[in-house]
Amino acid sequence: MAGTGHAQLRDRDDVLLCVKDLVVQFPAGRGRVVHAVSEVSFDVVAGETLGIVGESGCGKSTVARAIIRLVDITAGEVRFQDQDLAGLEGEELRKVRPNLQMIFQDPISSLNPRRRVRDVIAEGLAVWGDDIGSWSRDRIDELMDAVGVEARFGDRRPHEFSGGQCQRIGIARALALDPKVLICDEPVSALDVSIQAQILNLIQDMKSRYGLTVMFISHDLAVVKNVSDRIVVMYLGKVCEIGATEEIYSRPSHPYTRALLASIPEPAPTVDASEGDIGDELPSATAPPGGCRFHTRCPRATEVCLEVEPVTEQVGAEDHYVACHHPVAVEISPR
Amino acid sequence: MSAATRASRQGKESRQRLLRRFRIVRLVRRGRTPEDSPDDAAVRRRLGVGFWLAIVWLVAIAFVALFAPMLPIADPTEVAFGGPRESPSLDAWFGTDALGRDVFSRTMYGARISLAVGGFAIVFGMVVGGALGILAGYYRGRLDQAVGFVFFVLLSFPALVLAILITATLERSLLVVSLTIGILAVAPVGLLARASTLVYAEREFVAAARVLGAKHGRIIVRELLPNVVIPMGALTLLGMAVAVVAEGSLAFLGLSVAGDDAISWGKMIVDGAGLRDLQNATHVAMLPVAVMFVTVLALNFAGDRIRQYFDVKELPF
Amino acid sequence: MAAEATPAPAPLLSVRDLHVRFPTERGTVNAVNGVSFDLYEGRTLAIVGESGSGKSVTAKTLMNLLPRTALVGGDVIYDDQDVRALAAAGTKHFFGVQMTMVFQDPMTSLNPVKKVGEQIAETLRYHLGRSRGEAWDEAEDLLSQVGMPEPARRVSQYPHELSGGLRQRVVIAMALACRPRLLIADEPTTAVDVTVQKHLLDLLDELRRDRGMSMILITHDLGVAHGRADDVAVMYAGRIVETADARTLFFDMRHPYTEALLRSIPRIEDPVKHRLDPIPGRPPELVSPPDACAFAPRCIYAQAGCLDGVPELSGLVGLHRFACLNPTGTERGADALAANRAAGTTAAGLALPAAQAGTG
Repeated sequence: MAGTGHAQLRDRDDVLLCVKDLVVQFPAGRGRVVHAVSEVSFDVVAGETLGIVGESGCGKSTVARAIIRLVDITAGEVRFQDQDLAGLEGEELRKVRPNLQMIFQDPISSLNPRRRVRDVIAEGLAVWGDDIGSWSRDRIDELMDAVGVEARFGDRRPHEFSGGQCQRIGIARALALDPKVLICDEPVSALDVSIQAQILNLIQDMKSRYGLTVMFISHDLAVVKNVSDRIVVMYLGKVCEIGATEEIYSRPSHPYTRALLASIPEPAPTVDASEGDIGDELPSATAPPGGCRFHTRCPRATEVCLEVEPVTEQVGAEDHYVACHHPVAVEISPR
Repeated sequence: MSAATRASRQGKESRQRLLRRFRIVRLVRRGRTPEDSPDDAAVRRRLGVGFWLAIVWLVAIAFVALFAPMLPIADPTEVAFGGPRESPSLDAWFGTDALGRDVFSRTMYGARISLAVGGFAIVFGMVVGGALGILAGYYRGRLDQAVGFVFFVLLSFPALVLAILITATLERSLLVVSLTIGILAVAPVGLLARASTLVYAEREFVAAARVLGAKHGRIIVRELLPNVVIPMGALTLLGMAVAVVAEGSLAFLGLSVAGDDAISWGKMIVDGAGLRDLQNATHVAMLPVAVMFVTVLALNFAGDRIRQYFDVKELPF
Repeated sequence: MAAEATPAPAPLLSVRDLHVRFPTERGTVNAVNGVSFDLYEGRTLAIVGESGSGKSVTAKTLMNLLPRTALVGGDVIYDDQDVRALAAAGTKHFFGVQMTMVFQDPMTSLNPVKKVGEQIAETLRYHLGRSRGEAWDEAEDLLSQVGMPEPARRVSQYPHELSGGLRQRVVIAMALACRPRLLIADEPTTAVDVTVQKHLLDLLDELRRDRGMSMILITHDLGVAHGRADDVAVMYAGRIVETADARTLFFDMRHPYTEALLRSIPRIEDPVKHRLDPIPGRPPELVSPPDACAFAPRCIYAQAGCLDGVPELSGLVGLHRFACLNPTGTERGADALAANRAAGTTAAGLALPAAQAGTG
């Protein structure tokens, strides 16, 4: 199947989060099933930023939501610090939650319009039993200061803030519980271009200030490159390519990765613009193509791609894995 | 093409109006550095004169209803206070009915039951319907199906027949009549609560609360309730208007609160709706009708203004 | 049409001093404040700006699509005709024929309960008086021209059966049905994925060239404007702050906003984990703006003069124009920046770290 395999998983002691053969399916009525995420595996090392990139419908957001258990996991495991989150329920699950926090795409929708921003940020502390006493009030002020929202505006409601400031408030809320992992789901795509850089820098700053491990999900290749140490490229619920950011961008090997890089308005120099011509039609996720899921649009597809699903294999000597029968040869640059 | 005609009007007027606007606009607040305040344009909304007129009327009616026995008005049950079917005069402002009772005084006393039934019914509908609707909308699944079934049964069952059934079998006390109307309010209010809960439950702030580890109860109370209750609360006055009319309808069938001293607007209208009254003394029915009409109008108007007022704009233009 | 070689051909579209105001409960929103530009036959003008910059309102004004409450001032001349007068007179067969528009969300322009072929055919029948049969055949032909795979099958499908990219192709086919001379594309690719975006932009470009159309491309994405437009106008707070041919604008810009915007965007050729250079602050309020350069509070070049009146666009229409007193890339701008760095703050009170030299 296109993009299974565990070659990319690292055998290291500092792996904080390990997703193995994750499957997420949704019922689509009339007995059909949406194959949102199909046997996806990757891991995140403590202190690392992992970028997940792909187009709409590739399952990148579903992966994030499955990890923090906002959607049900159909199969597979999500190992966080020796605990399989996939098997947790009820109170056990609730107890792990503070460790994994999330920033959402739409800053306005992610804040309750009827609550004051101070209460929004303090919600985590309130849930875990801290009364909004003086100690946590200091903590809230500190957080507001850290994300760049003046503490004196704490009594205002979200609609009095701009989108960028709402996103800052959302970040403060996520950080209040001292999480280990921060999952950012398209955190800047709803923001104005002149604000995006502020938020991207802020996420970086918060990462180093609070020692976070970050998963960063985006459709924007330039944004992902800007923040990530390692990158997963997804297509139709599968992993196409995974590896160190520098590797992926300088030696893209999967035809889909290359198509993405060739499609952006100012294409990357490593690919030819014609490689972006892969047809408009994303196959249905209720009946994904057999073999390699990308074969319907792939310029390099052959018989074997229709039949056999590729497994991730290392290409080159560096941290670079690709799930493709006909990967584009990447020359090993002299180091 | 309506777009074109629209623009024509604009074209002619726009220049002069623009110039005027420019001057006015320049005078209003100027010079704020963007980072200084998130948005100090505190959204100024107005409820308007009509709203306050409506409120004055409602407060007056409520005051009269509460303190009717202490007010210097005639005993509403005193038969032959004046002659039968006397026209309105300085002694009896609304005239007298067939038994010579003071219609004005009866109208004032009638407000007690009408408002009590209206208020109690809508509170019952809000609490029960609201709770069921929110729970159904939040938990979805089986609970939603069960609650939805109950709502649709309630809606499909002829309201009047249900009301007749209940009031005819039980004693027609204030509580029973209010409850009857209240039960009828459960399904519409519940469906509304369910619909707005569904909308808010999809919002990412609910997901964020779950990620923070908030339990279901907390999410319902802290995140959903404030959003669902305020628009619903604004509908209280609208609902009360409906309930007041419903009481009138029950009274017309002789099914409102029993007893001669239990005066309600609905019962007064029935009293005045005999053929002889309608021909010779229209005031006996029409004046209570007028008071009821103005009250219902005031409830509707005030309710609608409040609904608009609390319609939070989340995106400042 | 014979190509006339007159020394100075009249522009196809000429906009002069366009103002648009919206009265709202919070006060009058000054959405467009004196926008002027020319568009010549066969050229593409990209209007670039953030939300609230007035770019979409400008486009809607041209197409006579503003809500009733909007107050409009200024002139829009299309091929010697006064467009606002045409709109006022309720002229048929102008909007949608001479000038057409493609919107961001294709579903806003498509009727969900009608076959796409019918919708295209309807346009042809209404504006061009085609018969039912002719219109249907032509619709199919148009679909194949916009690169719709299997046009014969697609023509009788409903919008919901098509992907986002294909829907947008239908909208483009509808827009082109009456052979317009001017196509206004308002964020045509914002709702679609990058691989589809490339195809749509290529398609629009190709169609424009083949048909000799002019195009106004409204976008928030400088990358989209880059390489697709002949001329670019950058809007901020309802004004054009800089306009030039694309090359000049991207490589020899004068307005600090253009410069800051280009600097703040992450680019694919930047090194991994490259620290971005954000624009401080946020876009201004459009209700009662101060009588000053709208960008001054966020501008590292700002001087006292910037806070005293709104700077006018320099130069002549059609040339490189910018509305800035201390333009970047000039001596004046360099001096202003040096002075601000020395003082540690701009005249508008923006704190400047002393480090990091050079203007760019």
